[in-house]
Amino acid sequence: MIVLLDIVTTAAILFVVASGLLAIFGVLKIINFAHGAWLTLGGYCAVVTTALGLNPWTALPLAFVAGALLGAITEMVIVRPLYRRPLDAILATWGLGIVIGQLITLWFGRDVQFTPNLLSGTVDLFGASYSIYRLFTIAAALIIGCAFAFLLEGTRLGLSTRAVIMNETLARALGIDVARVRLITFMIGTGLTGLAGVLLTPLTSVDPNMGVGWLIGAFMLVMVAGSSFAALAFACLIFGGAQVMVSTFVSPILGGITVAVLCALVLRVSPKGFSRG
Amino acid sequence: MADAAAKLSLEGVASGYGAINIITELSLAVKAGEIFALMGKNGMGKTTLLKTILGLIGLRAGAIAVDGRSIAGASPASLIASGIAYGPQEQALFQDLSIKDNLRLALRSDRELDNGLDHVYGHFPFMKERLAQKAGTLSGGEQKMLILARALMLKPKLLLLDEISEGLQPSVVTRIANALKDERQKNGTTILLVEQNLDFALGIADRWAVLKLGRIDDEGDVAPEARQKILEHLKI
Repeated sequence: MIVLLDIVTTAAILFVVASGLLAIFGVLKIINFAHGAWLTLGGYCAVVTTALGLNPWTALPLAFVAGALLGAITEMVIVRPLYRRPLDAILATWGLGIVIGQLITLWFGRDVQFTPNLLSGTVDLFGASYSIYRLFTIAAALIIGCAFAFLLEGTRLGLSTRAVIMNETLARALGIDVARVRLITFMIGTGLTGLAGVLLTPLTSVDPNMGVGWLIGAFMLVMVAGSSFAALAFACLIFGGAQVMVSTFVSPILGGITVAVLCALVLRVSPKGFSRG
Repeated sequence: MADAAAKLSLEGVASGYGAINIITELSLAVKAGEIFALMGKNGMGKTTLLKTILGLIGLRAGAIAVDGRSIAGASPASLIASGIAYGPQEQALFQDLSIKDNLRLALRSDRELDNGLDHVYGHFPFMKERLAQKAGTLSGGEQKMLILARALMLKPKLLLLDEISEGLQPSVVTRIANALKDERQKNGTTILLVEQNLDFALGIADRWAVLKLGRIDDEGDVAPEARQKILEHLKI
């Protein structure tokens, strides 16, 4: 039963980490390879709020706003000229990730930082104690998923966004401000990634390379999911589950590469992944 | 200089793709409240011209004006906000969205939705009962009516339509023709029709022009002899 909980909570964590990347890829059709840097930025927002003696939860809105503002500058200055050159956009955002990492190192140093738990303690479930915070990640993933569903299905911005995803040329011909939709989407995606960085801090230490380790897994999950949040949730459950099983019963080291390897195999068999395959 | 008295005027317009100019030195004036039929064989630049007017393709030379004011360099969003509507020919609907959502996309705010829907129900009542139906499941004729309905949602001052009658049975063509005539009569809408259906175009238009290799080859009023003249231009 604990393994089952591990599978669900691991899937939830992967969903939280990858959803910002998917939001950007789904609309803009580019991969933000600085995704890891935004996760790190979020982690350091938790460090800053701790240093300022603020409630640890204040790091969440701070990271969202900081991530979104940095995302706005990035979209306008770096990404916007590269929409027709997605490979160049990957290189540019990869470089940007290195720059952000170095700036964080300059500011905070290379030392590992620790932040207080957002939620501490355990709860007895099925005869064993289980981390309350890991259970909370399920709620966080559901909230993020529902918020995206509402944004896409229940708002005009969502309708415009769906129109841009389906047929950008037609959307433009109907007077939809495609540049504005892209900017807002990039800000939401990067803001959400910053927020995800805060949510990771109780599970990992914070250092300038904190987000890098999550990048490949998130990237592969997004490649498999296409532009569908439902497909992302499914992919996280399947591959996150596989990661837990391999880590538990075979080897934690192999478990660390399970998501990337299985995603690559799925893409080999079905290049369009889950959502459009 | 652009014709200041016209609703839409084009003077020496050039536009195209890559290194190729599809439209070259094209001049045309469409009067306010007029239905103007622009005809021509495939590949002559009709669709390119509409896209150039709407700012979807960059203007390379010449001037385009609406109500005497230059719209060169204006974004499609600003042109549509100013009262221009466009009904494209190809991939003109969001197939996976409902009729209602396709219609909503013509608006910038849902506050205008009820008025817009009431307006298009007057032309196409079938939509009232089928708002939740996905556009991709409509028949070809219904899809064309939805394209037109979406363009009419905001009661545009200038309507650009690209082969709206293409592939339709006569009864649907008649409904579309009636809707366009009604729109012009009630709202004074100026309509630029790109068409290959001669009967439909001459049945509702006041004037016509034939586009050939990116230029206006001939134009005139819709009169009994117009049909033969246009056929001469269109024959292969």
